[in-house]
Amino acid sequence: MEVPISTAELLTTDGVPLKQSLKKAERKNKIRAFLLVFPLLLFIIVTFVMPIGDMLLRSVDDTQINTVFPNTFSEFKKWDKEKDELPPEEVYKALFEELAYGDKIQVGRALTRMNYSKSGWKSLIKNTSRAIKKAVKKNEFPDSYKDFLITANDKWADPTFWYAMGQMVNNQTPIYYYNAIDMTYDQDQNVIRQEENRRVYVQTWIKTLKVSVYVTFFCLVLGFPVAHLLANLPLRYSNLLMIFVLLPFWTSLLVRTTAWIVMLQQQGVINGILVWLGILNDDGRLSMVYNETGTLIAMTQILLPFMILPLYSVMRVIPKSHMRAAQNLGAKPATAFWKVYLPQTIPGMSAGGLLVFVLAIGYFITPELVGGKDGKLIGSWIAYHLKTTLNWGLCAALGAILLGVMLIFYWLYNKIVGIDNIKLG
Amino acid sequence: MSKLLKVFLIASFAVASFSAKAVTVASWGGAYTESQQKAYADTYTDPSSIQFENYNGGLGEVRAQVESGSVTWDLVDALPGDAITGCDEGLFEDITTEIAELSTPGPDGESMLEDMENNGLEYHSGWDCCVPQIFWTYVVFYDPDAFPGDKPSSMADFFDVEKFPGKRGIHTWATGIVEKAMVADGVKPSAVPTVLRDQTGALDRAFAKLDTIKDHIVFWSSGAKPLELVKSGEVVMSIAYNGRVGAANLAEGENFEYIWEGQVLDQEYLCLVAGAPNRDAAIDFMMHASTPEAQAEQAKYITYGPMRASGIPIIQAGEPWGPGGVDIMPHMPNTPERLKVSIVSDPQWWSDNGAEINERYSAWMGN
Repeated sequence: MEVPISTAELLTTDGVPLKQSLKKAERKNKIRAFLLVFPLLLFIIVTFVMPIGDMLLRSVDDTQINTVFPNTFSEFKKWDKEKDELPPEEVYKALFEELAYGDKIQVGRALTRMNYSKSGWKSLIKNTSRAIKKAVKKNEFPDSYKDFLITANDKWADPTFWYAMGQMVNNQTPIYYYNAIDMTYDQDQNVIRQEENRRVYVQTWIKTLKVSVYVTFFCLVLGFPVAHLLANLPLRYSNLLMIFVLLPFWTSLLVRTTAWIVMLQQQGVINGILVWLGILNDDGRLSMVYNETGTLIAMTQILLPFMILPLYSVMRVIPKSHMRAAQNLGAKPATAFWKVYLPQTIPGMSAGGLLVFVLAIGYFITPELVGGKDGKLIGSWIAYHLKTTLNWGLCAALGAILLGVMLIFYWLYNKIVGIDNIKLG
Repeated sequence: MSKLLKVFLIASFAVASFSAKAVTVASWGGAYTESQQKAYADTYTDPSSIQFENYNGGLGEVRAQVESGSVTWDLVDALPGDAITGCDEGLFEDITTEIAELSTPGPDGESMLEDMENNGLEYHSGWDCCVPQIFWTYVVFYDPDAFPGDKPSSMADFFDVEKFPGKRGIHTWATGIVEKAMVADGVKPSAVPTVLRDQTGALDRAFAKLDTIKDHIVFWSSGAKPLELVKSGEVVMSIAYNGRVGAANLAEGENFEYIWEGQVLDQEYLCLVAGAPNRDAAIDFMMHASTPEAQAEQAKYITYGPMRASGIPIIQAGEPWGPGGVDIMPHMPNTPERLKVSIVSDPQWWSDNGAEINERYSAWMGN
């Protein structure tokens, strides 16, 4: 006998289908939950997602200059470099008009940008503008705009300036990324390496990575025993020791940096003691600061707490009985440490390592002060372009690459160790 | 809410709204800002209406303020390159007419701009938005005790590590040092900017000269450092900002000697930020801070020279002008005889080429 299966939907007492009613109740909960996290979400969007998005946009954006010279650029694109050594008359005419009637401030902003593609644009455009405005005021329009501009400044007969203009005729450009790795365009927009004596970024990238890796390594080597001691001493001693770790952590960065200079310099405390003890003679004083050694020493000391604290909080909860049990079962202390204790500290090492590495890769004040000629890490260049040259496109590109490098490390870390393994306590 | 808390809240609002009316001046801090406070703000009709804030130079913050539309600074103490760029970009407001109408002329009726030209300066677009402050210079100094015999006296000596062995302190950016290298290579100081601008290969020449002392350099990046380096014996001579050396000599009893030859004079301006919240009050203060008298007054507190030529005679007539009855002219960078052996840095050229040269300089340092 067939059991009739009802195809009608289940209804609640007030006649609404059950499915719908449940959905409604669930939606209410969802909205409530969303409203609870909404402020945080908004905060993250405003303070984190938007600035990073803005940075990424800026690193390829070239619209400002394209709104100042739209006609010049569109005429420029028609120039056949094979046929004519200099651009055709129309380009000169468009440039003349756009300089004559353009907004002074917008032109000013554009020429800051033009100067990045070739040094000398700033004064070239400014001098030319002055001549053009004078002519327009007197209502004297030349027959040949080309001749007029070249008479105003003979650099307009120099094709290299025109080649450099080719870098900025599109609204979006990858040039800042190329510049950030010592590349540039040649006259036909092929990507080539920067002139040899201007290649600074690749070596700075390598130096930054090297310093960050070394600092992370030294922090781990020095921090591990300290954290271990802290975690295993009786509370009253470990609290005292903890203050020794935290006190420098709370001291001003500049004070600590300066203290290292006093310690390390050639006429400083350490060299003084070594000479006094007769280990060094007076001419053989070690140079431990104003070079990479100084950078590594100072940065390691400054970042050490960021390694010790996560390590300590992880080590504190590892039961002491584990090591005893391992030794009880016949393991030598070293084996027990290696096989039982160390694996349990990996979450702390990872957390500390990532923290120190991330902080180190963006460091620039300490290296500048103690690093001498080796003290310019990538952070210094970002600050320099942000403040001095106002080349925010290059800044953004350097920042984006830095972000990319971090993401690659994060990805590698996730592959090798697994991100769930990270633990701050 | 307790009564006390209410009173406190109201008071803090009152203070906040009061300080919002003050003209905010972003400057470099330290002894320099202190000298501005004493020479310009304290002599102003309403000293409490001027408030100094520290910044680290560069136009980054100004551009961020102007772009976002929330301008909090009224005036910025700017280097000439920044004055030019800021004025071109509209970050600073063009006040050409205000300057022409309101600035104090010199004693012979010359306008402020003419007064500056009398001091060896050339017009640049920074003059449209800014008023002059002081000359400061990159000067070489040393401790005479470090040289028992012959004392170094020229740029050639600074670059001669055989005649004067020992390390040299040099800053980590290119401005100033490129010019000095040219002087050491035999170019007449006054001709250096022209040679750099017009002669192809001039920069290569400067870098070749720098190569000769490369292994004997300690690089510094903050203004207090060169004094420490020389005092501790880490280097035997160093480039420094002359105001720092002057302060050490006058206030700390040091006995440093200068090598004036090849000093690189640079300018300092007070510029009006576009959209400044207290524009008119700020302009009034600018005009006060650029009178010859105010400029001369500043020399009492720091050894930077007035950018207006007519400031110098006021100091000379008033000697001893320095603290504690000391003559200040021996410490001033822009006396007529010193100007003859000085380079006046060309801000327009640096504004054009600075980024490229600094990259090259860094590449050179790192290799």
